[in-house]
Amino acid sequence: MMRRYTVGVRGREFVIDVQEQAADRFEVVVEGETFDVTLSGDEDLPDASITPGYQPARATGAPVRPAPPAAPLPPRAIAAGTSTVSAPMPGVILEVHVKAGDHVDRGQQIAVLEAMKMHNLIGAPRAGTIAEVCVAPGQAVGHGDALVRYAES
Amino acid sequence: MASADTLGLLLQGVANVTPQSVVMIGVAGVLLYLGIVRRYEPLLLLPIGAGCLLANLPLSPLVAEDGMLRVLYDMGIRNELFPLLIFIGIGALTDFGPLLENPRLVLLGAAGQFGIFLTLLLALALGFTRPEAASIGIIGAIDGPTSIYVSGLLAPHLLGPITVAAYSYMSLVPILLPPIMRLLTTQKERRIRMPYSQRTISRRTRILFPIVVTLLVGTLVPFATPLIGMLMLGNLMKESGVVERLTQASAQEIANTVTLFLGLAIGSTMVGAEFLKPSTLAILVLGIVAFTVDGIAGVLFAKLLNVASGGKVNPLVGAAGISAFPMAARVVQKVAQEEDFENFLLMHAMGANAAGQVASVVAGGVLLALMGAGGA
Repeated sequence: MMRRYTVGVRGREFVIDVQEQAADRFEVVVEGETFDVTLSGDEDLPDASITPGYQPARATGAPVRPAPPAAPLPPRAIAAGTSTVSAPMPGVILEVHVKAGDHVDRGQQIAVLEAMKMHNLIGAPRAGTIAEVCVAPGQAVGHGDALVRYAES
Repeated sequence: MASADTLGLLLQGVANVTPQSVVMIGVAGVLLYLGIVRRYEPLLLLPIGAGCLLANLPLSPLVAEDGMLRVLYDMGIRNELFPLLIFIGIGALTDFGPLLENPRLVLLGAAGQFGIFLTLLLALALGFTRPEAASIGIIGAIDGPTSIYVSGLLAPHLLGPITVAAYSYMSLVPILLPPIMRLLTTQKERRIRMPYSQRTISRRTRILFPIVVTLLVGTLVPFATPLIGMLMLGNLMKESGVVERLTQASAQEIANTVTLFLGLAIGSTMVGAEFLKPSTLAILVLGIVAFTVDGIAGVLFAKLLNVASGGKVNPLVGAAGISAFPMAARVVQKVAQEEDFENFLLMHAMGANAAGQVASVVAGGVLLALMGAGGA
């Protein structure tokens, strides 16, 4: 079954098509780009910020399964067709200085990566808006792992 | 009634204060200041300063026959035990992974030892004897335990100033190295990016590496066997992962304990008559020369590699070829990032730095072989 969500994020509207492949796998199409999404957790948060009031038919009591992918989706949706800042070498993330939605200037400090017991500052490669932060402090990263994703350029 | 004799006995200490010992207590004060206030290698300079102070007090029983500092000196410095124990700890802390990922960096480690030999020649020209000159040159290894090991064998009377020079200059790496690096490279060169080359090093390679290096170096440079053997023993314990407790003990408890003993014993060698000579000043100056030449040779050699590789080697990495692990590599990363915050040379610098560590040890062995001295 294919479901279409229309969501507004920061005043911009996205159309997201979610195709259920299996109970925990979904194919998600955002602005022409296809993502394979795996659902690893599924819970109802009492203070979740998403109120699917615009879909009265499925608002409550509906099978929860199609809804969860919608929750992690908006960030990924914005990430469509954008660039990523990745780890230049293996290490451990010590600090993250930005959050989704932040505007950064080129060179602005995004995170601190500890490698070989040295604190390395990771700077923003260009100005833009951060769409998603993919790491948390304390997390080990490998070379090339995504740290943050930019919103559309 | 207190006779003059009694008074003399009670005031023995005051009566035996000499101008030299006062000056040396001043020197101890400077070392303590550098360690405590300026944080230059406090783990070494504080015990060395304390040892120096205690040894220069009038009639200090600590340096008399069976005095504690004397016992420490006989126990671990005269027979080279302490620097070797420290080396096990260094091996247990050193990650040779970045070097194994990029083996050609070993050349930079070799270039970083150039200062040793130039300084040796300079020291000879200044009138030092051959063993003394070799001991002074080894400051250019920018590696404390190696310096102590070599000068302890060749010129024990210079141990104090040489150790102080070696450790002080090591702590000055972040101050002395960057100007050399900037002076010798163009901005364009400093901006050369060296992407991290992801190569997984198998556990087997990591375990075999210390064994093979020990066999190779031990056979080629027998005088380096004690140093390289202990360094690689520590590394083997670390990489094997089966003796976690021994690795921990070597890198922490043993290394810490020995550092305290070593510092005190070295400090106790710095007594007035031996230390307050023009040669001490010359050693301190030659140490700076050795250090500078190392940095210059490393960077220039890296420039050569850069040309040979068609512009793929950032010459800054050459500066990490001196020993001083891992400070030199961090300095390289800092300078590179000042020019281009997206450039991460750290892993390459670490590889060159680890190579420099091994090369220092080999250079020490070569010097001992040339001087015909050593543990054999």
